[in-house]
Amino acid sequence: MSVQQNPAIYAECIQYQLENIVTPIPVYANFNRNWAKEPKFVTWHLRNIHQPVYTGQTQNNKGIDRPVFQMSIFSQKLEDALNISNNILQSLHGYSGVFGDPGTTGFFIAKADIVWLYNTYDDKVGLQQIIMDCTLDVPT
Amino acid sequence: MALINKVLPGYVATLWCQEGANPTALTDAQLATWTNVETIVGTSAGGTGTAGIQVPVETIPKFGADDAHVAYAIAGARTGAKMTTQNQVTSLSVIAPWNPADPAQLLIRNDGYNGTIIRTYVIAVYDGTDTVAYAFNGRIGGLAWEMATNAEGKFIFDIHPTGGNSYGWSNNS
Repeated sequence: MSVQQNPAIYAECIQYQLENIVTPIPVYANFNRNWAKEPKFVTWHLRNIHQPVYTGQTQNNKGIDRPVFQMSIFSQKLEDALNISNNILQSLHGYSGVFGDPGTTGFFIAKADIVWLYNTYDDKVGLQQIIMDCTLDVPT
Repeated sequence: MALINKVLPGYVATLWCQEGANPTALTDAQLATWTNVETIVGTSAGGTGTAGIQVPVETIPKFGADDAHVAYAIAGARTGAKMTTQNQVTSLSVIAPWNPADPAQLLIRNDGYNGTIIRTYVIAVYDGTDTVAYAFNGRIGGLAWEMATNAEGKFIFDIHPTGGNSYGWSNNS
């Protein structure tokens, strides 16, 4: 028995979880040039939602879900971006428990595993950026 | 509480052991009784943890029973045959990231040098609400430390189960 989670629920829960970690810094899904006026903010992108599919013809013979989302931290000062990335690492890396709003769409994750990828600078918008990946292990 | 009805990631499995230098291992019946087993499993995996501590392992090795059989062949016949025998509870070869001050690793180190201490171990899987536990009694053997210069230091040991029936499954439902 294994049911594919609704991507919309993943999106709601990522938004909720990140907001709770970095509050009061704003969190957005996807980058929008309008955000660039703000001194610091976080965006995320959901990708690679995939459960392995085993033998047919029963549709629910599938494995665990391991979605990946990417976080981009934007800040005018590199130090701020590094500290925001540290908040996220301390809170989420290795986390096991309810992910998202426990009162609504939150669900249990076995593990959140973060890879801190790299930092860079966008000269056009004048913002430091830190890019991180997070993989969730979701029992299904 | 219902039994877990989900496909679980391997990450949810944790290894626990009885604490104390001279533990009283659970009986065969107690190994399959949640009210006894839950005292060894910590609260982070749905137990009470009043009599146990977590063993910090890198991953839970394959556990269960050995494939015990005798094979024989008959002269002149095209095939032989396999007959299953009473399966042994399998030994676990465990790799832990070595922390010289970790209390569970110190207990296991002492057990390994002692050679006769029987301790109850529990492998628990937990989905955030419910727990399924595999408990068994074992002695420690094969203590080894591996300190490769380009990697984390490892503490490696084997848990050898005692007796053919010293294991049990239980859950909190």
